[in-house]
Amino acid sequence: MAAQLFFNGLVTGLLLALPALALTLVFGVLKFANFAVGSMMTLGAYAAWVANYHFKMPLVTSAVIAAVVVALTAAITNTLVFERLRDRGAIVLLVASMGVSLVIENICRFLFGNNAQGFDVLVSRPIRWMGVRINSEQIMTAAVVIVCLVVLDVVLRLTPLGRAMRAVADNAALAAVRGVERRVIATLTWMIVGGLLGLAGTLAGLDRAIDPLMGWNYQIPIFAAAILGGLGSPLGAVIGALVIGIAEEMSALIIPTNYRQAVSFTAILLLLLFRANGLLGAKAVRK
Amino acid sequence: MSAYLTTIAILVCEAALIGLALNLQWGLAGLVNFGVVGFVAVGAYATALLSPLVGWLPAMLIAAALSALLSGGLALLSIRLEENYLAIVTIGFGEVVRLVLLNEDWLTKGALGIADISRPFSELGVASGNDIAFLLFSIALVGLSFLLLEGLARAPFGRAIRAIRDDPTVSSALGKPVLALRVRAFAIGGAIMGLAGALHAFYLTYIDPSQFTPIVTAYAFMAVIAGGRGSNIGLLLGAGSIMALLEGTRFLKDFISIIDGTQLSALRLALIGVGIILLLIFRPQGLVSEPKRFERDVFPRANERTP
Repeated sequence: MAAQLFFNGLVTGLLLALPALALTLVFGVLKFANFAVGSMMTLGAYAAWVANYHFKMPLVTSAVIAAVVVALTAAITNTLVFERLRDRGAIVLLVASMGVSLVIENICRFLFGNNAQGFDVLVSRPIRWMGVRINSEQIMTAAVVIVCLVVLDVVLRLTPLGRAMRAVADNAALAAVRGVERRVIATLTWMIVGGLLGLAGTLAGLDRAIDPLMGWNYQIPIFAAAILGGLGSPLGAVIGALVIGIAEEMSALIIPTNYRQAVSFTAILLLLLFRANGLLGAKAVRK
Repeated sequence: MSAYLTTIAILVCEAALIGLALNLQWGLAGLVNFGVVGFVAVGAYATALLSPLVGWLPAMLIAAALSALLSGGLALLSIRLEENYLAIVTIGFGEVVRLVLLNEDWLTKGALGIADISRPFSELGVASGNDIAFLLFSIALVGLSFLLLEGLARAPFGRAIRAIRDDPTVSSALGKPVLALRVRAFAIGGAIMGLAGALHAFYLTYIDPSQFTPIVTAYAFMAVIAGGRGSNIGLLLGAGSIMALLEGTRFLKDFISIIDGTQLSALRLALIGVGIILLLIFRPQGLVSEPKRFERDVFPRANERTP
């Protein structure tokens, strides 16, 4: 039982890792908490669902389409909204991102209604390995996330784009002096973030039903994961996501499953009280 | 028709109360509260559960006190932290309140909700007279809260929290107790949100968790942004125009047959989001910008001494 829960938690954590990374990247490079992460996941899930269900595409193609759709949406949102409010401080951007979240969620609701939808995939028999049931969706989730993490790590550490992103995150003015265009980097960051969220939405749609509130329900665990790792730290976000995922699933052993969602909230509270910089240490959390 | 107008007027009163409270917390004190709905729900449930036991007025007061206590506590936990963190903590609070309402059947009757909440002035007889009396009561409540908050905004307390909003470091260097003032602002806001919840419970006489979604929070932010952060008069205008707009669009359902009810409500919410974004970009000061207060407003005779 415990082993099964631990394994499920590991997969949930991997699933959370992508949006947590998306949140932390925006926070690191653009210095505000993007409350539209959840709704962008929802959008990704619906984009993949339309491709898969209406156009009968295989799931892999649908996931790629979802990533592209959300990446473009994120870049457009940046140009239309966030870039215009850039100088107005973190709180204004935060409230604006909440507005964006409301818009995206309700466009999905307008187009697809409140009913839960699911992908058109064959249900396969789970594999048993050392007493743990593993289903094919879980294998797929783990594989996709791990590939994403490796690619992202390479991009951030080794490519000129990654170097430029880290430079803007460290000191935007200094980066500008060295000829790094903040605007271009911001747009590219949003496209990467959108791609991650589109994939995450597709994976989340495999895990549970797709409805307009799907992403919103992930919002608190995502923030918990990113805060746990220290906002702005990509590696921290991944570790934080694994810890939160495992804690959420394992909590079924001690508290009623109805209160699973409260686990992340409690984790956030405890962290802010006792280790406000996150596990790997972020900058200036306290005022 | 007049019943419909009464309904709108009472809903505007509720929105105005919530907006006034958020205007104190976010507009004046600069503290983001994305968990508005949680405090309103606590107020509504406390009122519904207590009013059969202790009567409506004590129930309302206890509801306000409970909301104030919870928001003060939450503020203590998180207010020293940067605004991003306060935002997520308050969202989390809202969600936890919803979980408790849904799952603690013994207290809240879960998803079924609490029905037959008796409204004050129901002894006044016929249903329509009862509605008017309740409307007057709601307006009185908004008026009192407005006077209280406007008084606070003009008082030294208001100046201190605005100073903290604009620059906490300077304020604390000037000896202002930053944390204590912030907690107080948050708690007062919480109390008024609790009162709004009480109004909600009394008016609908039936409450369930589905009435308390994050949308309530979005409306409140829209009202504050539209009215003008920091301006209580602007807020009343903002809350009024938004509720009128929202309720007005409910009529559209009868005229437009292409889209169904779900789509119409989705459209309305998307418009709220668009409204928030457009106002932030094009009219950040809102309808009525925050009143600039000068030395002579505070010390009327200051100019006479220095000709």
